[in-house]
Amino acid sequence: MRRLLLCLGLLLPAGTAAAQHNHASRGTQEAFTATPAFGPDGTLWLVRTEGSRVVVVRSSDLGRTFTAPVAVTPEPLNLDWGPDARARIAVDPKGVAIVTFAIFQDKNFNGRAFHARSTDNGASFTKPQPLTADTTSQRFETVAIDPAGRVFTAWLDKRNGPAARKAGKPYPGAALAYAWSDDEGARFADTHIALDNTCECCCLGVAFAGPGRPAVIFRNIFPGSVRDHAVVTFSDPATPGPLNRVSADNWKIEACPHHGPSLAIAPDGSQHAAWFTDGTARKGLFYARADSTGAVFGPPRALSAPDRQPARPYLLAEGAALHLVWKEFDGDKVSVRWQVSTDNGRSWSAATTVANTGDASDHPQLVARDGRGYLSWLTKNEGYRLIALGGSS
Amino acid sequence: MKRRAPITAIFAGLCLIAAVAAAQVAASADPLSFTRGSWAKLRTAHAGQPTVIHFWGLTCGPCLVELPQWGKLLKERSGLRLVLVAADPLPQEPQRVSATLAKAALGGAESWSFTDRFYERLRYEIDPAWAGELPRTVMIAADGQIAVLPGVADLAQVRTWLDAQTKAPR
Repeated sequence: MRRLLLCLGLLLPAGTAAAQHNHASRGTQEAFTATPAFGPDGTLWLVRTEGSRVVVVRSSDLGRTFTAPVAVTPEPLNLDWGPDARARIAVDPKGVAIVTFAIFQDKNFNGRAFHARSTDNGASFTKPQPLTADTTSQRFETVAIDPAGRVFTAWLDKRNGPAARKAGKPYPGAALAYAWSDDEGARFADTHIALDNTCECCCLGVAFAGPGRPAVIFRNIFPGSVRDHAVVTFSDPATPGPLNRVSADNWKIEACPHHGPSLAIAPDGSQHAAWFTDGTARKGLFYARADSTGAVFGPPRALSAPDRQPARPYLLAEGAALHLVWKEFDGDKVSVRWQVSTDNGRSWSAATTVANTGDASDHPQLVARDGRGYLSWLTKNEGYRLIALGGSS
Repeated sequence: MKRRAPITAIFAGLCLIAAVAAAQVAASADPLSFTRGSWAKLRTAHAGQPTVIHFWGLTCGPCLVELPQWGKLLKERSGLRLVLVAADPLPQEPQRVSATLAKAALGGAESWSFTDRFYERLRYEIDPAWAGELPRTVMIAADGQIAVLPGVADLAQVRTWLDAQTKAPR
């Protein structure tokens, strides 16, 4: 067992070294991400982007050993290598795994989002199909299973831009698009636009307020090109609710921050957001909570200090616990810092370091099983790690 | 110790200037590789000279719009020490970096490009409080004093700064 773990640890950095060699010779960008999901039987599924391929591996021993990679994209693709892009995976209550990912269609960062699924416990994946028929641009797609087991996907879509510009109207950013699947991710129904003019290059966060009630957090474009965060909570599967601004940071920027937020909903219905901003009102990484759907978010609480580059927050509600992680840099090492709340985000433990690394790293991810939260983190030096939060399991 | 440090620095500086000169021979030459320790080398190479360092990125739309303005400024001010650093979080194709600069009439300027994926470290060496937003302009006076212009630079401000530098007593 230990030997296998070591092997995996060695394999991953070797892959990165090969990728870096490619940089030198071809200068191509390499995606370097691992996104986790637990299946109903407790199996850990990981979707990884390795160069120009998307592969899935599984572990039945909490990340100590993994199955051989199974390709979701057999042919090499120009995967979206943006710093906030990643392939996603969700496993439904019957053990069907749905993967989403995007490719670049051109050199102007227009994307095309795809989905594929496995109904044979990861032995094979269906041929990837576009998430939507429109070909303008889709990026930052994400997939999640609602509490009733229905598959929801959301992404940033640029379909409304060309028509607006043709009519002489400006169209900043993209639109928040979504679709549902009623056949466990085999097909997705018609695309709907929840709202226009979101920021176009930050990942989305999704949580559920109940069955058929996704809540999506995203960087919005407020008047004056202010790119602050907002949450839209659906009142039913077809009705996105009003936009609820998380915080007035006043980050006016005509650019792409490539730094998306995270959202969790606690059992009492309270909403929890974490995000990065460089606004005039505040700079750095922040957390805020709202008592319920649509309620005003409370005052932002700073996570760490701006001179430690705090970044890439992730929130997860599991049982009675709310977990919050982010990464920061002390001039030598990047650390994943963790806080936990057991009173629905009213008070939090002091931040502690869960893991660190001395080189490049993916964004930290959280995943939960049997009431326990885990940090899922891919780093260049150490390879992939799954670490139980709050001590060994 | 006190006597040795400047000699080492001068030597490092000469090496770097030689490398930069070599890089500038061909207009389409690849940018210099910006990795751990590069910031200190860059600072040393330009120490004692007013220098404008412009951080941009191929993946940054406003940067691409702004670049030709820097090309114009460089043409207008022959003595301008302008250094361009492509600070994309993911290393970009060197040919695209140099081609983009050439198109903006910046083919002859000193150019670097992030080639290390440990971008937290590169940014920290430059400025611990810099979270990576682009564009960003750092102006370093002869005495080492630093002025930062976050976002698209107001070139009038840069010109005023440059004028103040030439008037400043050496």
